Amino acid sequence: MKIIKTALVATVAACALSASFSASAGEVKKIGLAVPNLQADFFNQIKLGVEGYAGKLGIEVIVVDAKNDTATQVSQVQDLLTQGIDAFIYIPAGAAAAAVPTRLARQAGIPVINVDRTPDGAPGDTFIGGEGVNSAYEVCNHIIGLANGKGKMAIIHGQKGTTPEVDRFGGCKRAIDENPGVELIAQQWSQQWSPDEGFSIAQNMLQANPDINLIFGQADGLAMGAAKAVDVAGMSDKVIIGGYDGDGAALEYLTKCEGPFVVTATQSTQSMGVLAVNSAIAVAHDASVPARQITDAVLTTCENAPGFASKHP
Amino acid sequence: MNATGGTVRQKANFANIFSLRGATGPLIGLLLLCLFLTIATDSFFSLRNFLNILDQITVLGIMAVGMTFVILIGGIDLAVGSVLALSMMVLGYLNVTAGMPMAVAITGALVAAAMCGAISGLLITEFKVPAFIATLAMMSIARGLANMVTNGSQIIGFPPWFNLGAIIRHGGFLTTTVAVMLVVFVLGILYLRYRNGGRELYAIGGNPEVARLAGINVKRKTVFVYTLCSLLAGLAGILLAARLDSVQPSSGVAYELDAIAAVVIGGTSLSGGTGGVVGTLIGVLIIGVLRNGLNLLSVSPFLQAVIIGLVIALAVAAETFKHRGK
Repeated sequence: MKIIKTALVATVAACALSASFSASAGEVKKIGLAVPNLQADFFNQIKLGVEGYAGKLGIEVIVVDAKNDTATQVSQVQDLLTQGIDAFIYIPAGAAAAAVPTRLARQAGIPVINVDRTPDGAPGDTFIGGEGVNSAYEVCNHIIGLANGKGKMAIIHGQKGTTPEVDRFGGCKRAIDENPGVELIAQQWSQQWSPDEGFSIAQNMLQANPDINLIFGQADGLAMGAAKAVDVAGMSDKVIIGGYDGDGAALEYLTKCEGPFVVTATQSTQSMGVLAVNSAIAVAHDASVPARQITDAVLTTCENAPGFASKHP
Repeated sequence: MNATGGTVRQKANFANIFSLRGATGPLIGLLLLCLFLTIATDSFFSLRNFLNILDQITVLGIMAVGMTFVILIGGIDLAVGSVLALSMMVLGYLNVTAGMPMAVAITGALVAAAMCGAISGLLITEFKVPAFIATLAMMSIARGLANMVTNGSQIIGFPPWFNLGAIIRHGGFLTTTVAVMLVVFVLGILYLRYRNGGRELYAIGGNPEVARLAGINVKRKTVFVYTLCSLLAGLAGILLAARLDSVQPSSGVAYELDAIAAVVIGGTSLSGGTGGVVGTLIGVLIIGVLRNGLNLLSVSPFLQAVIIGLVIALAVAAETFKHRGK
């Protein structure tokens, strides 16, 4: 026991002696990428974009996955900084979008590139995001058009209060307001943007309002879950569903061109990853970078889905 | 550990306070893990990283102390993650939305958390609901209440000093939040080892009926332990709010499982009656060092989940194996 205790004390003391700090200027050799949740294909695509492009440039990428937990993400960012990263690509986890990781990276004096969400009060050097409002408008306009401009609509929201949730609702609401024949009769929020939530939420909505003929799922996962619920309810021929993101699975679904889920907006996730790496390099070299860099999402139906499915933008 | 509840008196000397009481296995595991990470990475073995790990285990550590007490009496508390979220939301509501001073907000948050535990305790003792079910119900209730505070949105806008408490290292060493955790651990260790009330927990965990016949008020003690566990979860929530500088009702999902894992890795038996807070401290450190180390090694997130699961299974299997050998 004594020996173990001595060893423990020695460990702590030695820790104290070998404190190391990372410094960086100019050259980017190692990029830290903090992702909210790799289970979501959208984030996984960004990760692939960053890794693929950085690999070509000979830059090492360290990825951490917060599993949707803000506290985990703060810990992971501390660990990234300990490893002496030269730039930090930050996709905040959770609705609160903690400002703390940005502050930590600022203390270490390295570039901070925000993707998809920005924490309130602590912006990074640049924000890279998908345009949400107009694309959501187009998706909703498309399904309303297929229903001849009238009907009863339901919206399955993403995680309440997140930037994409707010933007996509704003865009879709505009399409609804422009079509007086369309009535928004049901809305529900999901926690994780996931297919199983989409399924159960849509099932409950259809139970309460059997005359729904339009559903907008704010992410493809939600839309595909809703499509399943519509199939189960035997209403596939009368309900039209729109999604968002252009996930791999959704593009495959649309490629088959059957079922109630007919349209999505494909985000340029891979190019967002490339843009993030380029911005990180630019900021590290003190070059000026726009505060907001917005990539467009492309309206995707079964006509152009096969192209995107084989090569994601 | 054969406490007879009541008359145990021990000399309080320093070595005894930190004696390991059956947690040597976990400690050896922890040291081996540290040794491996020191060799495998450049960045693990440094003061800065050691302090980071302490920051990172604060919330889990405080919750695990409360969980140790509950598991010692042979119970379980599945509600702590939700209670943590409720405490955070009450704190945010009182301080930011209602504009009350932080002292009032913290008190309110702790009271709300403690009440959850008291209700679970009463359900278990008075209504004979199994602890698993009573706390499962409370897990759902507290999560729902946490969401109701703001209808699911986050709250930001705490005073600047609140977040600084989790960032500024006093004397280059301890943040306020880590200091609070250390105090909780020391009080937990002292209570279990030197107070009659603490010794009684072992007696209840060993055999509640015998404990009752020996004159221990088992019901009151049980309610007390669940209240304390919830109170500590609430305290952890306040520290998490300071660390994140924001509160959201979806915080702390599945934290109860981390807390239970830390307690069990630390050598406390799920059937109650044996174990202690020193072991839990080591269990918490193992989880913290493992997560930190896997990040430093740049292990893929998917593989990390597998490794953490394996370590939990191995730690408990090794402990069981040792007991069978005796």
